[in-house]
Amino acid sequence: MPKTQANDRPEIDEKIEGTISRRSVLKIGAAAGAAGVLAPALLSPKEALAFEDPPAEPTRCDPQVGNPPPPQPDSPATTPFMDNFTAPFPAVPTILFPAPQETQNQGAGEAPRAAHQRWNQFQPEVQYHMIAKAGLHKFHAEYADTYIWGFNGRYPAPTVLNVYGHPTVVRFRNNLPLQTNTFGRNEITIHLHNGHHGSESDGFAGDFFGVGFWKDNLYPNCYAGLDAFGGNGDPKEKMGSFWFHDHRAEFTLNNNLLGLNGMFLVYDNTDPGHEFATPGSLRLPGYYGITDFPLILTDKKFCATVGGRTEMVNSIAGTDKWVVNGKIQPKMTVRRRKYRFRILNTGPTKVWTLNLVNPDGSTGTMTCIATDANFLEHPLRINATDGAANSNATTAPIVAGGLKVAVAERYDIIIDFSEYNAGDKVYLREAAVQRTINPSPDVLPPGLDIRNVILQFNVVEREWWFPPDTPAIPSTLCTYPTLPATDNNFEWQFVRDPACPAGTTPVPPRLFRVRRQGDGPLGCAFDAEHPAHAILRGTTEEWLINNNVGASAWAHPIHIHFEEFRTLKRFVNGVEIPVPPLMSGRKDVTFVEATQGSLIKMQFRDYNGRYLIHCHNMAHEDAFMMVRWDICPDPASLAACQAELQVCQEVQQCVPNP
Amino acid sequence: MERRKLLSRLFEPHPASPGAARYTNAVLRTQNNKEVRFYDDLIRGKQVMVNFMYAECQGACSLTTQKLKRIYTQLKPRMGKDLFFYSITIKPEDDTPAAMKHYAQMNKVDLPGWLFLTGDPFDVETIRFRLFGMSHPGMDLDDAMHAGMLRIINDGRNSWGMAQSFASDKHILKRISWHDRQKSYGELVKEYQALQKLIDRDVKLYGYRRDV
Repeated sequence: MPKTQANDRPEIDEKIEGTISRRSVLKIGAAAGAAGVLAPALLSPKEALAFEDPPAEPTRCDPQVGNPPPPQPDSPATTPFMDNFTAPFPAVPTILFPAPQETQNQGAGEAPRAAHQRWNQFQPEVQYHMIAKAGLHKFHAEYADTYIWGFNGRYPAPTVLNVYGHPTVVRFRNNLPLQTNTFGRNEITIHLHNGHHGSESDGFAGDFFGVGFWKDNLYPNCYAGLDAFGGNGDPKEKMGSFWFHDHRAEFTLNNNLLGLNGMFLVYDNTDPGHEFATPGSLRLPGYYGITDFPLILTDKKFCATVGGRTEMVNSIAGTDKWVVNGKIQPKMTVRRRKYRFRILNTGPTKVWTLNLVNPDGSTGTMTCIATDANFLEHPLRINATDGAANSNATTAPIVAGGLKVAVAERYDIIIDFSEYNAGDKVYLREAAVQRTINPSPDVLPPGLDIRNVILQFNVVEREWWFPPDTPAIPSTLCTYPTLPATDNNFEWQFVRDPACPAGTTPVPPRLFRVRRQGDGPLGCAFDAEHPAHAILRGTTEEWLINNNVGASAWAHPIHIHFEEFRTLKRFVNGVEIPVPPLMSGRKDVTFVEATQGSLIKMQFRDYNGRYLIHCHNMAHEDAFMMVRWDICPDPASLAACQAELQVCQEVQQCVPNP
Repeated sequence: MERRKLLSRLFEPHPASPGAARYTNAVLRTQNNKEVRFYDDLIRGKQVMVNFMYAECQGACSLTTQKLKRIYTQLKPRMGKDLFFYSITIKPEDDTPAAMKHYAQMNKVDLPGWLFLTGDPFDVETIRFRLFGMSHPGMDLDDAMHAGMLRIINDGRNSWGMAQSFASDKHILKRISWHDRQKSYGELVKEYQALQKLIDRDVKLYGYRRDV
């Protein structure tokens, strides 16, 4: 066989006529073990490792020239309801080689990390390989391919389906391009939002690693409360809808905009991923991709199609396409029965306000069963009649019958399509409009603007083979865990540096920061090397998350890593108001709009290490509204840590302009 | 010849670098009264850290200069080779090259790889706003973006970030390293081996990875 270069493979395929081509061997090799043994003899090392050539780098249509850069034209127009709404493909477990181990596997190219905590207790039973790499994705049937970065080259990433009590290792490998034309950064650190696990598996923002390396994250799939309850923890701490995403400091927004995020669902006996009457099961709609769907929201802007590509614009302002599970305005055929949707806002910055529109134009009913992966004690109906108090707004304007979803928040809702007739079309509506949408092929309900629609449901009769409807949603879904006594109170203020009078310039420039009690006027910006707060393992703290500082006009979805908290009090302008029903359960993101505050209670147990509290508006997060807090194993290390706390005494100066 | 090729590649700008269109090619003067073009001579293909100051400034500016001096000492082998510090005056009317030279000598920072720059006020103002745009529209549209921060640019990687001048040396060094040129796998292996040793030491000392 003539010696050939790896990059003229297409020709090789034609040349070896009548024989088996290298490429087919490769395919067989992937499918069958026996052929796989033969493959290395026939293939170049590159091919044997099944490295595909990455897609060509995009041509940027948005040169970031000038400050501010000139506005981009609107995205190319799209026709509604051309694509199908589908769930991302489930991730396929694999057997990792080399096998995951407790300590860093330096020889095999693992990125630096501390040894896994509780490794002996949680030996991984399930293993996944998630390769961050460039890929192509079609966001709309009328668009050409778009260059993305995704796990296993896909956007949205494959969904990991796991079960409590079965620890998992996910190997995140960085195969991103060494040199890229995009606005992304080829270093990653993956955070599972909001897993209860050691900090070495938590995707700490400063722990990113470069191209060619990988890192094993151990997800024990345990309930919180291991120290106190033993075994697999306190089952009352059950969670369901997790998501994983890149957390690279300074570039979280860019890498997430490019597509490095996906969902991670964990089941247990109350929520087993099927609909049979098994012991303890709540019998909620539960077949992934059939009656239980992630609903992953993001907003984007695209360039005109050039050279067979419709590239993404590096823009978070002026986005004009609402993307649901990777598609613009898709349609979905639903049977007359209950469906579960796990709404996730992957940001990067947009807050969504969703409601269901009936065929007659009235507001439909969504029943919220879980907030941020945690069941509500009692399901909550969200519609026009059950009261605006049920919606997620605490101040005007109240979202009548709507659900406000800030970045990183998840809401599991159930929609009962048996309330509709076959042939009905029901719409999921977002309050903000998209700009370039062609006329709707279907007649819309009165009062509904096609530019607001993000998803169309076509109701049909249930076929004989489709799973029958589940029983009514139980009136009690769970019991909240008991909260222990508080050991410490703490306050975090989320502030933007104040503006300076006209004719003067602030020094330093205005950042987004986190301020503690006793900090200087400005507060703390992200410092990966120093904790802003140290906590003794096994204690409980009450934190005031305060956005009623200065003349704040900003809204901050504040996310705390590691464990779920409970909201004890809500404040508007410093005045306590009742906790809205949708915030009354366990959550890991608390949305504080201007003048609002949340008093939350959270436990710090089972693991040691560095974790984060940050604004999940990724623009704010990258502009340093993030600080590190540590769980210290014993009083001695706590004292040592407290001596090393981040010092934030910066003072703003207003320097006269030259 | 191979070596020359390698050297020239070291200072090649990234293909997506916005180049002079963003950074401007304004003519500035160094403390030695030498004319330099901002993009072509100072940024193109290099890793640089830029801060704004003025010679008469008390407090923050001189603290920053002292801080940068300590950072400089730690990075000495790289300074002037693939890493440069630029301190640009925000009062170019007052700060002549001679005044900048005096300031540098007085602070004992007239060192290779560290330039003190002055120029036309309009040019300096333009550069200031171009550099402290953060590619976050909410912040970019705010025309109050300015000095005190350390802007880290690596044109060879089309990468930029920032560090706070008042933060610890450790923090600033780390931030600079976050924008180092794209390292080869071999270099990263060595770097990660060293880091792993520090992590192991940390775990032994504090029970968890704390300081690195």
